[in-house]
Amino acid sequence: MSRLNSFRELEHLRERLINQRKSITTTVMVCGGTGCQASQSRKVIDALQNELSKQRLEGQIRLCVTGCHGFCEQGPVMIIEPDNLFYCHLTAEDVLDIVSQTLIKGKVIQRLLYTDPVSGKKIEKVANIPFYQMQDRQILSQNLMVDPCSIEDYIVAGGYSALAKVLKGTSPEEVVKDINDSVLRGRGGGGFPTGRKWAECREAPGKEKYVICNADEGDPGAYMDRCVLEGNPHLVIEGMMIGAWAVGANKGYVYVRNEYPLAVEHTRVAVNQAREMGLLGNNILGSALSFDIDIARGGGAFVCGESTALMASIEGKVGEPRAKDVHAVVDGLFHKPTVLNNVETWANVPFIMLKGPSWFSTKGTARSKGTKILALTGQIKNTGLVEVEMGTPINTILHDIGGGSVSGKQIKAVQIGGPSGGCLPSSKFDLPIDYDILTEAGSMVGSGGMVVLDENSCMVDVAKYFLTFLQDESCGKCLPCRVGIDRMLEIVNEITEGKGKLGQLELLEDLADTVSQTSLCGLGKTAPNPVLTTLQYFRDEYETHIREKRCPAGVCKALIKYYIDPEKCTGCGVCMRGCPQKAITGVKKELILSIQPCVRNAEFAEVNANLKRLE
Amino acid sequence: MQQYVNVSIDGAIVKAQKGASVLDTAIEYGICIPHLCHVPNLSDIGACRLCVVEHVVNGRSRITASCTLNVEEGMTILANTEKIRRLRRNLAELLVAQAPNSRAIQDIAMRCGVTEVRYPFRNEDCVLCGRCVRVCSDVWRANAIGFVGRGKDRHVEFPFSIRPDFCKHCENCRQLCPMTITPCPGPMTSGNERLCGGCESQRMTNDDYPGSCVWCKLGENFGCGRYSGNQTR
Repeated sequence: MSRLNSFRELEHLRERLINQRKSITTTVMVCGGTGCQASQSRKVIDALQNELSKQRLEGQIRLCVTGCHGFCEQGPVMIIEPDNLFYCHLTAEDVLDIVSQTLIKGKVIQRLLYTDPVSGKKIEKVANIPFYQMQDRQILSQNLMVDPCSIEDYIVAGGYSALAKVLKGTSPEEVVKDINDSVLRGRGGGGFPTGRKWAECREAPGKEKYVICNADEGDPGAYMDRCVLEGNPHLVIEGMMIGAWAVGANKGYVYVRNEYPLAVEHTRVAVNQAREMGLLGNNILGSALSFDIDIARGGGAFVCGESTALMASIEGKVGEPRAKDVHAVVDGLFHKPTVLNNVETWANVPFIMLKGPSWFSTKGTARSKGTKILALTGQIKNTGLVEVEMGTPINTILHDIGGGSVSGKQIKAVQIGGPSGGCLPSSKFDLPIDYDILTEAGSMVGSGGMVVLDENSCMVDVAKYFLTFLQDESCGKCLPCRVGIDRMLEIVNEITEGKGKLGQLELLEDLADTVSQTSLCGLGKTAPNPVLTTLQYFRDEYETHIREKRCPAGVCKALIKYYIDPEKCTGCGVCMRGCPQKAITGVKKELILSIQPCVRNAEFAEVNANLKRLE
Repeated sequence: MQQYVNVSIDGAIVKAQKGASVLDTAIEYGICIPHLCHVPNLSDIGACRLCVVEHVVNGRSRITASCTLNVEEGMTILANTEKIRRLRRNLAELLVAQAPNSRAIQDIAMRCGVTEVRYPFRNEDCVLCGRCVRVCSDVWRANAIGFVGRGKDRHVEFPFSIRPDFCKHCENCRQLCPMTITPCPGPMTSGNERLCGGCESQRMTNDDYPGSCVWCKLGENFGCGRYSGNQTR
């Protein structure tokens, strides 16, 4: 690859690549994202590659291993263009059929098509699948088109044209103004206006400035940053370059967690490719911008997603937050002005610069603009990544896109925003995805993780889960976060074990308020949210646990009571043999068996299964 | 030349040295904001959070630790509101429940108005205030001890648990440790921990003004800013 020295050379390269690809009649896009790789998509890709080279079809059919398509539930998935065909749940055995039937003869293989769970009909085209239909995919749609390890793919898809446009004739002030006008807000959780952040950093004194991409995503059930970085690292790099131009930085860092090996690898490849082409380095495309990116790998601490801890980690110090009374835009990495944005925020920047701020600000609600990628997980049918316009009601996401709960039971609550967010009950499902409205309801958009909980979930148990996570991930520097979360967990544990007392809920609320107000960093300040929202919306469940010593959802093991229904018992004695505690006594084949209180443990659940079988 | 800024702390307009922290300024003027991890002449990390104050910016109050907050011209600080007293009391309660076996901690709890402890006592040996770690690194530049582990497992330790050659045996870490001051009736055994409340005399006489300094004996032993003249350097 030769170095690109001017804007014209970039355009020439793009034209040349498009001409080269004219002979290709069909493109097969197989998802190589983490979700599909977990469903063995690698085998499908290898088999397809073999088959294509065996049949000498490589000239006309291009196999493109892309990033995440979003519909992880149906993985491994494949899209065949130009027919817009969608195949799902693929195995390596299907490859032969796909090549001989679909790719050569153009026939559609019915058994590989997606079945709509509502109508039961097979759907051929991607555009007709409700999961995709209801979304507004701006960032994720690019994931389908490019091979993340190929800069050519990205350039063919129009990549780096936003950068060229900016460097050609937009001053840094105008870029900041455009981002400001677009009302883009930080996608990492806080929702701070990106334009204001950039403007403050631009005005901060000092020659040396930094831009950082925060890809230390650690929320349980959230993986949108991972998929964007894995699927389209050049988009993020381009966004960072525009940001660097705007604030006057010439060094950038991508802080990505080491647990995302594919994201680390793809970013590394992308940075190297960009360097080779002269898109990173001195005088990029012949302009005044000199900028380079380093990759910093995180060691797996959730707290390192917090901006000051992240910077400490890059500096080589212990990843602990520090007081943020002076903002990072003035005193950040190495005590220099620093702009830190989330992966998704950076990914939005090239689109805004290319299509204009007004294009962006027409989408969304009054104070939250653009689109947001959400990770739908939990008890929902269509698990996957969803990109919707801001302001889409939660109901639409859960039912129209998500397809309702897996069990068919009612969805009881949805935890939005990960451990820092809160649980919203079904009565709040008409709320739109909007930074301010969700915060008002006690939750937050956060990074965009949506964990769906159905009737089988116990809300006290959910609070316990998030507290356990946070207690484990707290850095331990400040007292309220370290001890406060631990004490909250202690109380919640007591409640789930049936040792709860009546005044404890008030104590829990008081403590949660103290922790959220006095903690040092964002982790501690938002840590009580899961407890506070479950207390606010599901207080009756807590009270049932305390007063009646009963878990309505039957989740809290210590509160499950077993009994033998004398009308149904046939005296078969299966339960007697199954109980490791010998808690069931009686004579086999006689209709009188009795159960004694015993140590309730995990094995006892098996006995329960036996009892149920008897019924 | 020394530069000064005007700061309003609890309504009193005071002249503060530019670059000083709000806590230092308050202590200098005799407005006592309870604190534990802060030691004069050591860097502040804001670990104990006892020194929380309300920082009023454009009519909106933000709660933050005063030891890491630097003074600025025209700043408004409220160190003794109902809200702050409640938060401080809750923090002191957490602290004393964690480590009741220290007169210093018991006294802080008393001064912050803790009258009952709603959590089971734990009787731990360390409250992770980090005084020892910072005196080792800031004053002696030895770095012989540091924090190890995360969250609940965080503790103070020598590198690889062995006293290193560069430890200067200055014993400053021990001198500054709040846990070395035993409660008056002697150490509490496990299971017999309580909120001692023995130092009623140290308690603020008037609840309306708990921020005023009573020159408590505790402060002398404990490196309170008012006694910084006697501080070992």
